Amino acid sequence: MAERTIPGGQTEEAIQAAPVESAPLRLSRRSRIEKWMFIIPAALFQLVWGWFPLVFAFALSFTDARVRGPISFIGLQSYTRMWGDPLLGEAFRVTFIYAAMSIVLTFVIPILVAVLLMEMPPRVMRWMMLLWFLPLSGIASTILWKYMYNPEYGLMQGIVRLLGLPEQRFLNDPNLVLFWLIFPGILLFGPGLIYMAALQGIPSSYYEAAEVEGAGFWRKIWTISLPRLRPVISMMLTFAIIGSLQEFYWPQIMSGGGPGSASRTVVMYLYNLWGNLRFGDSTTVAIFLFAIIMVITVIYRTFYKEDPDA
Amino acid sequence: MALFPKVGRNQPRMRAAWWVLVIFLCGGVALHLFPFFYMIALSVTPAHEALSPTPVIWPKEPTLAAWRLVFELTTRTSMDTAVRDLMSFPFYVYLSNSLFMALMTLLISLPVTSLAAYANSKLQRGPMARWSFLFFIGTLMVPGVVTLIPSFLMTRNFPFPLPSAPLIPGTDDPFPILRIWDTPWAVIIPGVFNAFNFLLFKGFFDTIPDSIIQAARVDGGSEFNIFRRIVFPMSIPVYAVASWLQFGSVWDSYLWPLVVFQTPDRIPTSVAISNLMNRFIQAGSTSAQQAAAQTASMREILEAGLSWNGLMVLGLLQTIPIFIMFIICREYLMRGIRLRGLK
Repeated sequence: MAERTIPGGQTEEAIQAAPVESAPLRLSRRSRIEKWMFIIPAALFQLVWGWFPLVFAFALSFTDARVRGPISFIGLQSYTRMWGDPLLGEAFRVTFIYAAMSIVLTFVIPILVAVLLMEMPPRVMRWMMLLWFLPLSGIASTILWKYMYNPEYGLMQGIVRLLGLPEQRFLNDPNLVLFWLIFPGILLFGPGLIYMAALQGIPSSYYEAAEVEGAGFWRKIWTISLPRLRPVISMMLTFAIIGSLQEFYWPQIMSGGGPGSASRTVVMYLYNLWGNLRFGDSTTVAIFLFAIIMVITVIYRTFYKEDPDA
Repeated sequence: MALFPKVGRNQPRMRAAWWVLVIFLCGGVALHLFPFFYMIALSVTPAHEALSPTPVIWPKEPTLAAWRLVFELTTRTSMDTAVRDLMSFPFYVYLSNSLFMALMTLLISLPVTSLAAYANSKLQRGPMARWSFLFFIGTLMVPGVVTLIPSFLMTRNFPFPLPSAPLIPGTDDPFPILRIWDTPWAVIIPGVFNAFNFLLFKGFFDTIPDSIIQAARVDGGSEFNIFRRIVFPMSIPVYAVASWLQFGSVWDSYLWPLVVFQTPDRIPTSVAISNLMNRFIQAGSTSAQQAAAQTASMREILEAGLSWNGLMVLGLLQTIPIFIMFIICREYLMRGIRLRGLK
């Protein structure tokens, strides 16, 4: 990519790298009032719909709340009950396998494709990018994949037969159901756009310098592209972990948790509890999940160096 | 064009590698276009062909029956009671519900979120800026399901996240409540502040040099005017990205609308289509009884003339608004994203 210079001769990268706290800020009285007027509406919404429900979730998990009637404090009863629940253990096992598989199989591909896509001449790249990232609604893709996965008349079975493999049961196969749930994500992956936007900010002088030093194709990816993408990769990985551990819609529609409980995730189990109006129990399950996500995120962010210059 | 060396580009080995890359990427493009092609192909496939054991790529006898059926569902002109039973309301009712929710969310959310991000990026300094940043994005780390139940209770008895409003001390009367449950506002209001968009806006505003804003301030303008006249015109790309992302997520959201709506004519298209699909497909039937009921329901739908082809038409309809947003925003997508991570 040609590097984009802005007036003053600085590259965008140089501006991005400039320290944020450059000069102490002196605002007039009027500006200070305006500043608060900018912040307060958002802060109110964030407080009421962001933090308050979170705090309340903890409170709710110590009660036996139902739709109507009085609420009484029951201490840790929900926690002990849910801790010993074998169905919940099974749901957690399924969720972990699902999350691990989906991150291992689907996280790296968009990064690699974004790096390679940047090699195209700008005009070709723009067209490819558009065609590549055409959005298909989530609902539409469930309909499509439900059809393609049908063991009798679906396209996937046709492909399996064409390749001469034994017939698959796809979503009815308890051993492979999780793989087949993830499979569409391998073929039609997500948000490579974010990586491409970040890659655009890398000055081409970095690559030229590496070339003078004799670095080859993969070497450049490994020592320049990937380290520069680190902050974005870290953020996307955090969201991927959180998202895959609380998968609900896709397995719910595709397999309904079955066969048996082979694809019933924690959030699906929580939703069932809630359907039985066990608010306290289902909030407790959510808090278990929250605790686990927090632990995983903290561990991985401790060992992950985000700053490429450090 | 940085990975291939500048010198020696025309060597046969390099050329071969280049063409391998081009073919790989074109293959990827074809793979991503296939779902669209296949949905269109299936939407014109007659029902019996879609259910035959040989998989369809393009139907032998294309028919527009499914499109006609969905048109009848939309306008509710059909006299056939079986068709009328498919959806309890004309499809355009659901469409307008979805559109109202998605556009209203954008209209309220973008100004609120972006102004806060601007203030955080340019008007706050030091520890105060740091703390308010964490206050705004901290909830991104919280899985949505944790707050699902309290939020649900809050929509029923706003502002109390309790199953019923508490009594005013000393009296028998409950506190006055605002019930937004079962109205479009139950979807719109919780989505007003969007933490991910905040991150997106903040990342973008951080790259605008302070000197530009400082110069405008010297010229004597209120902060809001500086934002409106100088910062906002520069920031169109990030607004495009944010509105694309948020429109898509509200339009396609399923769990939350499923939870907060009860009246059947208030649900969005995502829920309406999924309901119809669930009646058609046997998913998660845990007992023989349930399976039998589902089979009966499926037969009913088939008799009304709706099969996979009709569902594909509905799926395509569900995609069109997202598609339109994508086309409007496409110019800006790459320029609008300047994320630098969560720190």
